[in-house]
Parts: sequence; structure tokens; C-alpha cells
Amino acid sequence: MNTQQSFFERNRAVIIFAIIALLMPLWFPLIGGYQGLDTKIMIMCILVVGFDLLLGYTGYLSFGHAAFFGIAAYTTGIMLKDFSGQVIPAIVVAVVLSTLVSVVIGLLTLKRTGIYFSILTLAFAEMFHAMAMAMLQEWTGGENGLTGMMTPMLGSIKMQGAVVFYFSAIIAIVMFYLAKRIERSPVGLMMRAIKCNQTRLEYTGINARKYKLLTFIISAFYAAIAGALMVVYEPFVGHEFLGWHQSGEFVLMSVIGGVGTLVGPMLGAGFMLYFENVLSADIGEHWLLFLGIIFMAVVIFMPGGFMEAISRLQARFNNK
Amino acid sequence: MFDLSINAFFMQLLTGLQIGSIYVLIALGLTLIFGTLGVVNFAHGALYLVAIYLAVSISDAFGFGLALVLVPAILFVLGLAMERGLIQYFYNRPHTDQILVTFGLAIVIQELLKWIFGANNVPFAIPQWGNGIIMMHEWFPFLEGFVVYPKWRMILVVVSIVTVAAVFALLHLTTFGLVIRAGMRDPEMLKFLGVNINRRFMIVFGLGAMIAGIAGVFGGPVTQVSPEVGMHLLVPSFLVVVIGGMGSLGGAVLAGILIGMAQSFTAHDINLSTIIVYLITVIVLLVRPRGLLGAKGVFE
Repeated sequence: MNTQQSFFERNRAVIIFAIIALLMPLWFPLIGGYQGLDTKIMIMCILVVGFDLLLGYTGYLSFGHAAFFGIAAYTTGIMLKDFSGQVIPAIVVAVVLSTLVSVVIGLLTLKRTGIYFSILTLAFAEMFHAMAMAMLQEWTGGENGLTGMMTPMLGSIKMQGAVVFYFSAIIAIVMFYLAKRIERSPVGLMMRAIKCNQTRLEYTGINARKYKLLTFIISAFYAAIAGALMVVYEPFVGHEFLGWHQSGEFVLMSVIGGVGTLVGPMLGAGFMLYFENVLSADIGEHWLLFLGIIFMAVVIFMPGGFMEAISRLQARFNNK
Repeated sequence: MFDLSINAFFMQLLTGLQIGSIYVLIALGLTLIFGTLGVVNFAHGALYLVAIYLAVSISDAFGFGLALVLVPAILFVLGLAMERGLIQYFYNRPHTDQILVTFGLAIVIQELLKWIFGANNVPFAIPQWGNGIIMMHEWFPFLEGFVVYPKWRMILVVVSIVTVAAVFALLHLTTFGLVIRAGMRDPEMLKFLGVNINRRFMIVFGLGAMIAGIAGVFGGPVTQVSPEVGMHLLVPSFLVVVIGGMGSLGGAVLAGILIGMAQSFTAHDINLSTIIVYLITVIVLLVRPRGLLGAKGVFE
């Protein structure tokens, strides 16, 4: 390891991201974005970074991360409604609970290989969706969703507008920094080894399952933070938070941006929300159809997503 | 709450069989495609979706009889086209890519149908001969008093049984089926023997889509016709495949009926019936991870 590198050199990506993120309220309106959407993009950036550790690095495609996103969102909502308007205890309880659930789901779904994993994560997320609609209706509000929360407060500051944005942006920067640290750590190496050849890794005497479970829990932890922040940003939880559409969106964002790069999925998240809320003004309600087509084109022709496009362009410029 | 009379038991048994028969039809196509091509088809629910919308449109315009013939045929061709045009390029790519591309296709198909037909339920009129009820007590003398069951649902059960029997006959009584079964076990060896396995597997993909077509024609009036139905059916059908054992046709049938029965017999308790499928999945995963009839070492 090169210890001579300065902090700035090592964390160039994080610093660039921090500058772009913190200045977002200045430049985002110039391209048609509005206040609030930037907050949402920050929140989704948190989620997809964690998701990428699982999908891009470890190679496990989860179709059920809406479960952790949604459970954290509901818990935050209930905390803000029945406990107090303070966001810190609400977020902590939500993230702890959601992460605990991920331990159980992880133990069950990681029993088998990749294909099973995708199917089973999808199934368990659907189970929580069904539960929110039926047996937990009294708490979740069922079809109508959870409303009537107190104004979220951080100490004595009201969590509204720009405050929520900077709160989310700072958390996003920290979480991106942590993900970068994980990427460089021995655990990060294990993740890539699992993706590369799990059988061979196991023959070297390493317990791959342990690392798979760890990655799964880390990614669920990221999803839980995003879910909790979503409710702080907008005090409403709908059952869609737990639905397969939601899980599908995480997958779409990550893949379009380019998995295995951490930066790519964040690009994808930004692109997708921008596409959905700004560009879709011309397409109307069929934005998902066009996004689906873009997604398929990416998977077929450019599996590396936007990041692959960028590096291809770079290569072309360098050759000239 | 739990009615133990013979009539109630019989009705729940029938309902379970009826719910299960749709799962079996969807899962049969899924497991066939998985077992032969090793592809997890997330677009299989979307194929069902295409089938029900086609069935509604054709039967409204030209009558149900034509829909009955045309829809499975169109789905068969669609399956072939899908395999040739898309899936074949993914055989050598990671499983996640296969899942991603079929998932993308599912979204595109679903959104396209939503655009054409709207997001709301489209009414699917049952043909004249399928309307009405069957007097169950006339057929089964052990029932007490007056027991009736919708005729259409009974037809659906019969169609499923016939379809399953046909698929088993095809696989176990014909040379084509023999080659397919050999290919499921050891595709490499078959290639060494000079058999063109790819063309046959392509036909299997078409067959899987065709079964979804049959399910759509008969299941449409029962499951409703709306863009969400595809995914709603796909999740339990996936679980049916997992519970039965991936790539096992017998397992798919057994698990499909098991899930149908479980849902029917817990219907009195909404809380239990919403999660019973997942409970069964968890138990099977813990006790027998390869599924009820899953072969040892196959796709583990």
C-alpha cells in the first residue's frame, strides 16, 4: 500500500462528489431541477452505493432491497408519529430494526446460489409488502399509507427544505467515503473474490458465506438509512415503498449507471430521478417504458452502463 | 372460523386446486425454460400478460373459439422470437445479466400494455358455454345438500390437468422429449453426440411461452386482466419452482397444488393466507434446500 499518498489523493472521488453534492442547490436548478428533487437524489445515492457493494462487487442481484428501504421508512414514520418529532432517535431505531431484519433474510436467501438469491429476495420483499397491506394495517395505514407525522426536528431546527438537503448530502458523502474504504479493505477484496470465483475462494479455506452475509447486511444498512431519510424528507410512507417496483428501481438505477464502480450507480440514480421528474414532462406517464428500453439497451450493448460509456469515450480521445 | 364439514372441506379442496392450477401452468413454463436453458425468465409473467390481453382482444372481436386457438400459437411464435432475438445472446453471460435483461423486457412489455389498454382492469367475458355453475352434489354423492361451483373455474382445472399431462407425455413418450430430458441432464455430452440441442431448446422456450398462453386464455377471466397481474403471478410461481425444485416438472406440479391448497385452506384468516406461501418457502429452504423433488447437485 502506498502510504505516501495524501488524504486528498486517496479520496479524490469522495472530494469531487462532496463538491458536486454540496453545490447542487446552485447548479441543479439551471438544468431544470427543483428543490426537493436534489434531496431525493442524495438519498438514492446513499442507497445505490450500498446496493453496488452487493451487486457490483459481490455479484449478488437482490430484487428485494425495497424491504429494508420500506421497513426503515415505516419505522421512521411510526416513530415520528407516535414517539417524537426528533429525527435522530427515529432514524437510529429504523436503521437498527431494518438491519436486524436483513440478518434473518440474508441467512435464508444466501443459502443458495445467485439465481435463487434474486428470486428469494424478491419473494421476501413481497412478503413484507403483503404484511403491510394486511396484518400490519393498523400501523402502516395499509392502502392509504402512513401519514400524520409530527414535523421532523433536528434538535430545535425544523427539518425542511435546504436543511434536509444538506443533512442528506452530508450523510451521502460520509456513506460514500465509507463505501470507498470498504472497497479498499480486505473485505472489499473478498467481495470481488466471491464475484470472480466463489468455489475457488472456498477451496482456499475462506468462509465465503460469512462475507456474503456481511455484504448483504451492509447494503441493507445503506438501504435502511435511505428509507429513513426519505420519510424525514417527505413525511409520508406508502406501501409502494415495499413493492417490487421500488426494488426494481434500485436495480435500474445501478445498472444504467454502471455497477461495480460506486460512482456509476450514483450517476444512474441522478439520471433516473431527473428523467422521471424533469425529462418526463414531455413523455408523460410513460417514462417507465422509455427507461425500460434504455435499461435493456444498456444491459445488451453496454453492460458497464454510463461508466463504460465514459471510459470508452476517454479511450477514444486518448488514441487521437 | 374453521369449518370442518365435508362440504366446506370439499369446496376448499376445489378452490385450492383451481388456484394451484394457474400457478402450475406458469411454473411449468418457468421450470421448463430453466431446466433446459438455465435461464431464469423474469419476463414469464409478462408473457402471461401478453396472453390475457391478446385473449381479451381476440375473443371480443372474433369470439373465444379463435382466441383459444390463436393465443397459444402466437405465444409459441413469440417465445421462439424471444429466444432467437434476445435470450440466445445471453447464454454465455452471467446469470445476473439474464435476469436483468428479462426483467427489463418485463417492464417494457408491462408498460407497453399499460399504454395500449390502460392501467385499469379490462373485463373478460366468459364464453356462453363456460358460464354458469356445476351442481357438485350430483357428481359427488358424499356431499350433503346443495353444492355448486363456477363452471369456468372447473374448466380451468381440467385444462391445467390436460396441459400437464400433454407436457409429460411429450417429454416421456416421444424421441423429442427424450433428447430434451437428456439435454437437461448433460447438454455437453449431447453436443458431443452430434445432437443439435440448441434448436430443440429453442422449441422448449416456445413451449414454455405457449403454456403461458394457455394459462392466459383460461386464467384471464379468473385472475383479471390488468398490467399488474403478470408480476403478481410471477412471484408465487417462482416460489412454486423453488419449492418444487428448480428444473423439476413434477416438483412444479406438486408445489403448485401445495401452494394453492395452502392459500385456500387459510383463506378464512387473511393474516395467515397472505404469508403462508412465504412460510412454506422458508420451511422448505431450511429443511430441504434443493426443493421437494429437486435432483441432487442440479443447479445447486
